[in-house]
Amino acid sequence: MTISFKGTREGLLITLGEGVWHDVLNELAAQLNRPSAQSFFKGARVILETGARPIAVTELEELIALFAQHEMTLTSVMGERQTQEAFDQVQASLPPPESLTRGNADETGVPPDATTALLVHRTVRSGQVIRHAGTVVVIGDVNPGAEVIAEGDVIVWGKLRGVVHAGASGNENAIVGALVLTPTQLRIGGYIARAPDDRRSGNWVAEIARVRGEQIIVELWSA
Amino acid sequence: MGGQVVTITSGKGGVGKTTATANLGVALARRGQRVVCIDADIGLRNLDVVLGLENRIVYDLVDVIEGRAKLRQGLIKDKRLPELHLLPAAQKRDKTAVTDKQMIKLCDDLRKEFDFVLVDSPAGIEGGFKYSIAPAYQVLIVVTPEVSSVRDADRVIGLVEAQEKSSPRLIINRMRPSMVRRGEMLATSDVLEILSIELLGIVPEDEAIITSTNKGHPVALEDHSPAGAAFTRIAQRMMGEDVAFQALDESGGLLDRFSRLFRR
Repeated sequence: MTISFKGTREGLLITLGEGVWHDVLNELAAQLNRPSAQSFFKGARVILETGARPIAVTELEELIALFAQHEMTLTSVMGERQTQEAFDQVQASLPPPESLTRGNADETGVPPDATTALLVHRTVRSGQVIRHAGTVVVIGDVNPGAEVIAEGDVIVWGKLRGVVHAGASGNENAIVGALVLTPTQLRIGGYIARAPDDRRSGNWVAEIARVRGEQIIVELWSA
Repeated sequence: MGGQVVTITSGKGGVGKTTATANLGVALARRGQRVVCIDADIGLRNLDVVLGLENRIVYDLVDVIEGRAKLRQGLIKDKRLPELHLLPAAQKRDKTAVTDKQMIKLCDDLRKEFDFVLVDSPAGIEGGFKYSIAPAYQVLIVVTPEVSSVRDADRVIGLVEAQEKSSPRLIINRMRPSMVRRGEMLATSDVLEILSIELLGIVPEDEAIITSTNKGHPVALEDHSPAGAAFTRIAQRMMGEDVAFQALDESGGLLDRFSRLFRR
């Protein structure tokens, strides 16, 4: 059983390893309670990586309670679909985070209230879901069957072929940009679009999608 | 230093995991490697049939794990190749009969005596997949050039990567260059573009596989089968040899040019 901690610009990345849930939770509590670590963890924004292990709602609630004792907040979860669904349920029962204030978009369409971005430096594969309260930047591909759900923008430095949802909490000023923009389905706020059937994937033409006049439009990513 | 535990898996069923395991086992054994193939598909035993060893099963994987048989008793020795052994799956049990820990222990024991421990994983991503992956030092993903197979392989690669194992390697099975040329099948480059892992080998579609599977006589036992030769090259790469990739004429090869010549 291994738990690893890694400080990133977006927050504290905690990766949970294999093992019985009870043991994992106890070990995590022990790690957080170390006197030398108290000041390090206090107030941290936590990104939880759960790997192949599915986390149930009750387990997630235990985690959030544990984090709360240390004034830490869970902002993102990276893991299996089941874990993501649990995170959805838990979040629905919590008051919305303060980061959801909506502002007017400036000329570039980037919401001025963008919270810290989550940087994902790998290929997001089928069945994997990335969910984040701010902007998500993927350096790598988002494969078919994968999902990226962000309350801010989604930028993919690679091929975007899975399902993407920017402005997931209703921000229609959010954008989606990719070097190859051929998503299975693209959502911004409450709008849904899909790539036309005749689109050839693999053309390296960076494009950006945004909401204009009640629909999602795609433009060349220039200037 | 012991041998390697290599798990062969795919996510999707019917793409040729068992055929690949049998033929890689044969090819490695023909090159003097001590090999044991483990059929981890408990309840849906197949590998013994493909290897032609069905009628020699006395004990199985679960008997060994539960201590009813010693490891030596469970292993079936192939008469054609003295270096090749099979540990068959139990047919009357299901995937809950084995745990990750038991599988790791078993493979650790086998590693002491064999150069290669090949684990033939069941399809799916449930318990059977998990205990098959648990002991692996190296994972081989078998994929056919079809969108559904690639999608499932992508899922499985993600799960293997999450286990902090070395990056899995890819075998593309049942490739039909003529269909690729007509644009009716995913090309090697299409598959690699999505999966972005190291390619270990490409196995062409070969009708001989069907007859050989029915007869329990793997194609890698012969030298004249294209699929058998492809499996042999993959086995050589597994042994660390640097074997050049054969140009599968996806863009119009020699053979095809000849046949076009004659048709004129």
